[in-house]
Amino acid sequence: MTDTRLSEDKPAAEAEEWKVGKGAYIALIAVILMFSGAFLKVDGKAWLGAFDFTTLGGSFGTMKNPATDTFVGAGGLSAKAGFLFALSLVPTVMLALGLLEIFTHYGAIRAAHKLLTPLLKPILGIPGHTGLALITDLQSTDAGAALSKELYDSKRITRKDVVIMGAWQYSGAGLINNYFSIGSAMFASLTLPVIIPLLLMFVLKFVGAVFVRFMLSTVYKKDFENE
Amino acid sequence: MSNVAKVNNNPFDIFVIGARKGFNIAINNLMPNVVMAYVISEILNLLGVMNLIGHVFAPLMGLLGLPGEAVTVLLTAWLSSSAGTGVAISLLTKGTLDPAQITILAPAIFLMGSQLQYMGRLLGVADVPKKYWPLLMLTSIFNSIIAMIVMRIIS
Repeated sequence: MTDTRLSEDKPAAEAEEWKVGKGAYIALIAVILMFSGAFLKVDGKAWLGAFDFTTLGGSFGTMKNPATDTFVGAGGLSAKAGFLFALSLVPTVMLALGLLEIFTHYGAIRAAHKLLTPLLKPILGIPGHTGLALITDLQSTDAGAALSKELYDSKRITRKDVVIMGAWQYSGAGLINNYFSIGSAMFASLTLPVIIPLLLMFVLKFVGAVFVRFMLSTVYKKDFENE
Repeated sequence: MSNVAKVNNNPFDIFVIGARKGFNIAINNLMPNVVMAYVISEILNLLGVMNLIGHVFAPLMGLLGLPGEAVTVLLTAWLSSSAGTGVAISLLTKGTLDPAQITILAPAIFLMGSQLQYMGRLLGVADVPKKYWPLLMLTSIFNSIIAMIVMRIIS
């Protein structure tokens, strides 16, 4: 990140004169203070640690109870604790996405599309062929958005349909992928089976879209009179 | 490698493709975000902001069965689901949140998650007229609140 930024900034910096504003000096002072250790363990002013590099680096947890503590340890702080903890999540994420890939390969998504399509017209008032765009959103926000745009551009759906589809896609966008990749960090702590929150979110996507449909045909009725 | 795997239907190969995606997500999205969330929550902690937030939002969050600090999870989730998850986990390790409360928060994080970036990536790309963006945003937040109430009842 820093590397790419430096190389991006270079040509611009060379083209113009070096501009050193007030902000630059403040940044320099801040960086010196942050790395100097001046704020490290100042007596009675622990809050200064928020501006100290070493304090923010934190500490690894320790094996307070070897029987239950994993390699993450217990009582870790800040960056070091965060890193080790994140590392402990990697296997779960790999397993979740590996399994997801297999189920997708064998058509789980296609089956879901088939089941969902007849529900769309009665529940959301949008044509059944929007199903693919909605189901795709469960896996990839970007692909789902692109499909919606395509439907509208080819005049197969109205502007009102786009807004309703937008509502469905926006809340909990990329649901399955996000839940199993990022959310799997929380799986070990859930007190319910992993599938329950997923189902609830899926249902609420419909609830939200129905609410938006209702709003569009009442509060915003005038906008769509010509459609 | 990926071409070969696409041609054959070997479930082991397919798993490996997915696992590789998972590894990339873990390295590129999860780990940097969790580290950032841990550091930010440490900063807020040192500055006493966490305490203050906890007090101010305690009554509101209390209705949902959550401590006041839980609001930081929701605010961060609004910017980025992974950062929100990171904050939730860091509060869990600190003992501010317990597993039952994580369960209440989990669906809410994703229902209102990453709205800022999805404005561009979803609403912008799909060409949803800007006029309705606030409505969709509010709807997502309502969804989250409903989710927390439901989760509180069933968990």
